[in-house]
Amino acid sequence: MELQANMISLNQDVATRDQAIRMAGQLLVDAGCVEKEYIDSMIARNNDVSTYMGNFIAIPHGTDEGKQYIKKTGISVVQIPMGVDFSGENDSEQLVTVVFGIAGLGNEHLNLLSQIALYCSDVSNVAKLADAQTPQEIINLLKEVGK
Amino acid sequence: MQEAKKKTSLKAKVQKLGTSLSSMVMPNIAAIIAWGLITAIFMEQGWFPNAHIAKLITPMLTYLLPLLIGYVGGRMVYEERGAVVGAIATMGVVVGAKVPMFLGAMIMGPLGGWCIKKFDQLFQDKIRSGFEMIYNNFSSGILGMLLAILGTYVVNPLVVAGSNFMSKGVDFIISIHMLPLANIFIEPAKVLFLNNAIGNGILVPLGIQQASTAGKSVLFLLESNPGPGLGILLAFMFFGKGSAKGSAPGAAIIHFFGGIHEIYFPYILMKPALILAAIAGGVSGTFTFQLLGAGLKAAASPGSIIAILLMTPKGSYLAVLSGVFVAAVVSFLVASIILKHDKSTGDDLAEKQAEMEAMKAESKGKEMPSSQAAQDSVDSYADVKKIIFACDAGMGSSAMGASLLRDKVKKAGIKDISVTNTAVNRLKDEQGLLVVTQEELAERALQRTPSAMHVSVDNFLSSPKYDEIVANLKALSQIQDKPQATENTVKTAEAGDLGNVDFAKVEEVNFIRHDQHIGTVTMATSLFSDSMKKANKQTPVKAVRINELEDSDKHLVIVTAAAKKNLAVRYTDIQTVVVDDLLTDKKLQDVVAKLK
Repeated sequence: MELQANMISLNQDVATRDQAIRMAGQLLVDAGCVEKEYIDSMIARNNDVSTYMGNFIAIPHGTDEGKQYIKKTGISVVQIPMGVDFSGENDSEQLVTVVFGIAGLGNEHLNLLSQIALYCSDVSNVAKLADAQTPQEIINLLKEVGK
Repeated sequence: MQEAKKKTSLKAKVQKLGTSLSSMVMPNIAAIIAWGLITAIFMEQGWFPNAHIAKLITPMLTYLLPLLIGYVGGRMVYEERGAVVGAIATMGVVVGAKVPMFLGAMIMGPLGGWCIKKFDQLFQDKIRSGFEMIYNNFSSGILGMLLAILGTYVVNPLVVAGSNFMSKGVDFIISIHMLPLANIFIEPAKVLFLNNAIGNGILVPLGIQQASTAGKSVLFLLESNPGPGLGILLAFMFFGKGSAKGSAPGAAIIHFFGGIHEIYFPYILMKPALILAAIAGGVSGTFTFQLLGAGLKAAASPGSIIAILLMTPKGSYLAVLSGVFVAAVVSFLVASIILKHDKSTGDDLAEKQAEMEAMKAESKGKEMPSSQAAQDSVDSYADVKKIIFACDAGMGSSAMGASLLRDKVKKAGIKDISVTNTAVNRLKDEQGLLVVTQEELAERALQRTPSAMHVSVDNFLSSPKYDEIVANLKALSQIQDKPQATENTVKTAEAGDLGNVDFAKVEEVNFIRHDQHIGTVTMATSLFSDSMKKANKQTPVKAVRINELEDSDKHLVIVTAAAKKNLAVRYTDIQTVVVDDLLTDKKLQDVVAKLK
């Protein structure tokens, strides 16, 4: 699978991590990947175990029970150049600039996810994603990894 | 690691084989019991003969039980995929065989699992995305087909030959009238699930001949005598360890009264030396039978004490019971000695291994989730055969972590270690497993997999733990490699650049947000203030717009060369440090070091 331009939202400014997750979830809803209820399961999962991955990346996705609301696999991207804190109340700051919302059925998304992981393990690459000016730029950046 | 392998004694190898054979049977005990009960109750000579229900008996014995064993055997090696291929391959030995193919299943099951595992290792990373399903199904399907065919032509005849050999041995001993010695063949054959072949194949036909003239035959008792098995199970009750001890009483009842001998075979497979106890019990039992002139009117099947007594002619009760009793006592004594001796000699390798593993699990339990334990020594990595990333749903985080580590492992040239991901609830406890989790999940992972090694990370994408894991694994495969050794020298060489900055005056460090690179600057600011915090420095760090600064040497602005030009147009007094990369430039660490 590949990223879709209509599932990438650039230059967002949000105050809380829940807003960021809802934004990523709404993109999944709008693209017909999940039911609305999935968003709540994304929030729940993040409260349970943080989806902050390090390197300014978070990959919110639903809980195991939330899987029933997935209609098809999809990955959304929300770029937050000013950053948003994903840490819990007492933890030290976990700033996130790129949020990948994930709805995964089976294993179709793993390939893309692993590309994202490999790409984002270099923090300079994350900076490129956080600076990207068009959705296509993000798609192209992540495409490089496969080669 | 190789040396350790060489040292592994033959005894330990036999033991390991026995353990894996028994772990193929153990999960299927329920099926064996179901079959045994149906047989005991509904067969023609059973307690409530019922021809309709009795139709279940043969297919269950011929197909269900071997297929289950093959399935579990395959799963031991390679999870669900191995299990399916193992079952397909088992079909190859089952079909057309005259004897129940337990032994064949124990060969084909793991073989099937192993084949598909090797196949996957070769081809898995070459699959294009979107073709996984096709690859998965066809590779195991085709491989299963080939193995099943191989089974019918090669393995099946081998097992049949082995079982014929056992039968010939028994036949020969009967012909030279050394009846008690027949048990030397019978007992090992039973444990390999050839009991029905020997019982129904040789002893029963010969016994029927004898009984038709003499009214009774001792041959019916050779295989069906529950004494030896009872003795072994009792020995486990008193001197066994762990789950074997706990399950032995139930097994003894099913064995002795239910006549399902299959239930004690795994106990012997666990500790192969116990076959001596079975043989001793069998030989002395048969000797007693002969001495006292015991015999049965017809075959006692299943070999339950009840069935045996039902078949006992009047006047032979004492002789039959004595034989069973003697067999049980002798095998109990021998088995007790073996089990106790096993305990006292601590230098038994397998024993030691088990102990060590228990200790390891314990020490891990205490030190979790600091994950320091994992770093302790290279030694603890010696057992690692596969690495599993576990997260809450198995959908995202663990997949990312797994692909990163897989990549690192591959680049380090480490082979035969698989890196996969799953949900924490689907983790299965096994040896040789390294579990990587988020810190929040570390405890749950530890509960699920107490015998695995655990590492927890707070940052899936750039955790230093990955490099530790890879370095430790690599050290084991004896590839010498010293990464990051030269870093220090590089640092000092570049420090010269900072000479024109007066750090004493700096009261605030700034990064400049400008149109195209807001994200980068956000991240750079965060990383830099992190480093400052770690180094215990007080100077504040802020990201600002280019027009928000006061023109004073209190500000130290960190910029790229391109951005410095813009800055120079507006300000004259501000101090600057020019870097190639706002996030990873090594100069940044030197700046931190010099700040207040």
